[in-house]
Amino acid sequence: MLANLAGIPSLNEIRGFLLMSRRSNLNKSITLSIRRFFIEDGAYLVMLAPLLIFVIVVAIYPLFFSFRISLFEYRLTDPNQTQTFVGFQNYVRAFSDQVVKSSLITTLIYVAGTVSIELLLGLGLALLLGAETQIARVIRSFLLMPMALPPLVVGLVWKALYNADFGVIPYYLKLAGFNVGRGPLAELNLAMPAVILVDVWQWTPLLMVIFLAGLKSLPTEPYEAAIVDGASRWQSFFYITLPLLKPTFLIALLLRTMQSFKVFDTIYATTGGGPGSQTTVLNFHIYTVGMTFFQMGYAAALANILLVVVAILSILYIMVLERQQL
Amino acid sequence: MRTKIFRTISMLILLAVMFVSLLGCAPAATEAPKPAEPTKAPEQPAQPTKAPEQPAQPTKAPEQPAAKPFEGVELTLASMTDQYVTAFRYLIPIFKEQTGISITLDELGYVDLYQKLTADFVGKTAQYDLMTVDIVWSGEYAKNQYTLPLDDFMARDKDQLQLDDIMPVSWTLGEWEGKHWAYPLAGYANVLNYRKDVLEEAGIKPPATQEELLEAAKKLTKPDGSMYGIALLGAKGPAVAQDYMAWVQQHGGSILDKDGKVAINTPQNVEILKFFGELFKYAPPGATDYWWDQRETAFRDGQVAMMEGWSIARAGYENPEISKIVGKVDITVAPVSEGMEPKYGFGGWGIGINAASDPKKQEAAWEFIKWLTSPEIQKEWIRHDGAPIRRSTLEDPELNKEYPWFPVLLKSFEKGDGDYRPRIPEYSIIQDALGTYVNAYLVGQETAESALEKAQAQVEANMK
Repeated sequence: MLANLAGIPSLNEIRGFLLMSRRSNLNKSITLSIRRFFIEDGAYLVMLAPLLIFVIVVAIYPLFFSFRISLFEYRLTDPNQTQTFVGFQNYVRAFSDQVVKSSLITTLIYVAGTVSIELLLGLGLALLLGAETQIARVIRSFLLMPMALPPLVVGLVWKALYNADFGVIPYYLKLAGFNVGRGPLAELNLAMPAVILVDVWQWTPLLMVIFLAGLKSLPTEPYEAAIVDGASRWQSFFYITLPLLKPTFLIALLLRTMQSFKVFDTIYATTGGGPGSQTTVLNFHIYTVGMTFFQMGYAAALANILLVVVAILSILYIMVLERQQL
Repeated sequence: MRTKIFRTISMLILLAVMFVSLLGCAPAATEAPKPAEPTKAPEQPAQPTKAPEQPAQPTKAPEQPAAKPFEGVELTLASMTDQYVTAFRYLIPIFKEQTGISITLDELGYVDLYQKLTADFVGKTAQYDLMTVDIVWSGEYAKNQYTLPLDDFMARDKDQLQLDDIMPVSWTLGEWEGKHWAYPLAGYANVLNYRKDVLEEAGIKPPATQEELLEAAKKLTKPDGSMYGIALLGAKGPAVAQDYMAWVQQHGGSILDKDGKVAINTPQNVEILKFFGELFKYAPPGATDYWWDQRETAFRDGQVAMMEGWSIARAGYENPEISKIVGKVDITVAPVSEGMEPKYGFGGWGIGINAASDPKKQEAAWEFIKWLTSPEIQKEWIRHDGAPIRRSTLEDPELNKEYPWFPVLLKSFEKGDGDYRPRIPEYSIIQDALGTYVNAYLVGQETAESALEKAQAQVEANMK
């Protein structure tokens, strides 16, 4: 639950993030604040201390701990609790593990599917509901509801909806003359789209909120100039809105890619990684290794690999989009 | 103005939602004992309260002044949410009345129960004093000494226990290499449930062999989808793994070789897997995604003609609140392959005491086990959806009148095989591998040969 709460950025966070990248140079602002932090302003440190301690306790210490045990052969259920140092063997093992390879590919498919659809839908919804009318406001607040539900609950509800023999969705599909076979979650080629749909249903509103924030903070002058110059609405959308929204795209893409990479609850509640291993994402495999086989060292190594993959992707995104912007 | 009110309202709603979801994270232990139950209890205790005092009196007589030596002891019980949980809800308040020991019941699903208990044992936090122990966990619990061996208690109190009365196969619920790591609690027999009306209409006799079962399933399946031959467990994970192992047992196969080593990918097991897959052709199309509850729903809903499953579910089919097939069901022993010496799958739950608990609590917990498994309380246990472990319960004329299928259970118990799912410490690794690859075969991702080969490889890689 905690991870989930932390995963949803507040509007303020998003706005702050936006402002920071609007200043167009993240690096500069970071070095600036670091200098201020250490040299110029002692009060800074005092005021930040509680938060810093919190971050160290809940994020940085566990990170180092997980790195440490990833170097050990450590089975949680071992009555003697022996931890044998094995160096990087767990990592070597991960790279020769077929399941890791296939689950990594599955994860990439899942991420590509969810993030691309959500970006498009989120942008569409934001444009549609951006107007400050009574109706748009009501719909907007209703659209936020899925986000307020725990993914586990969402997963269980969708599992019931998808059930081939008693579920609502196959029932109507059958009425409409479709052959649902074993049901969306149990057919090899339908399972992945089915879980992606669940994710899309839940997280598109988040992207809508981000895009709304982005759209609201766009300057009006370019549009006025464009109208004077006789640009059509499509032209002003493609040549003004989209380029100006780039930083918002960056944030949306980053947030959702990282969240999507870490997906677990939805898969756990709907398919359990099945059928076969069709939807076994990396995080689910880590869970199996850690919580079914209780091989903590190996599970930690896999988790760290996931962390590195996500970190590399984030850096890549930032670099690409920063360059385009300048 | 209106927008402001609207904003306040939506903020409040959002806060309420967050608050509720936060509450959801809190431990459920406090709400576990249903407040409605205790009020019902005083109406009926006439039978159960009187009964247990009799066997207790001869030994307890000198202690009588103290009467309740464990007054005020508080225990926690982690129970699987199987049918017998209703019996716990009913019996725990009565036990408290008699002994002063209060028990908090925490009801958990299968996967959660296993993980929570493992975390509790490994951390030695003794969060739970009593726990239901699946038959297949016996070896693992014994090897790691998670639960208290009950042999000392059993030797001390053997006069009160009537150990001979407990069916021999019941002891597999918790026994490992001669010691008892859990006490038999609920014995399940793998039986074949079938719809009397449907089979009669089609002119089919209840199948006595596996071959007949397949034939019957084929005939009973209607092409328009209004009736399917058999309901099976196909969902990835423990469900499909356990169902496949049941079929391995019924065809005389084995997951372990003669030396007790894991041998999944034998030619015989491949054949059995193909047979198992063949049966799925006559199961509801969603069956490859069925867990136990969905399989039950399919059968109770009247969509399928036959279902193999644990005997404990049998009573539920006569309950019109949850079943559309009241009075239409009969059971028979689970059919085995032609020419095979009949042996019937046996499973169920033992009840164990946490080795890390306070000795006084352990003593009180043993008191509960003794009380619960005494022949008199066993009758109440059965009447509230529990499952039998004793011969006297199975042969009890009164109960036989209420539950006419008890002779089938007795027959199954007498030739019960509690080891068809290997109760070895590495069981969960085997179950996970079979759970993935048997499902992969059923949905067409693997062939029967490659599925079992990969399962074997995965088990070997993780066992080391």
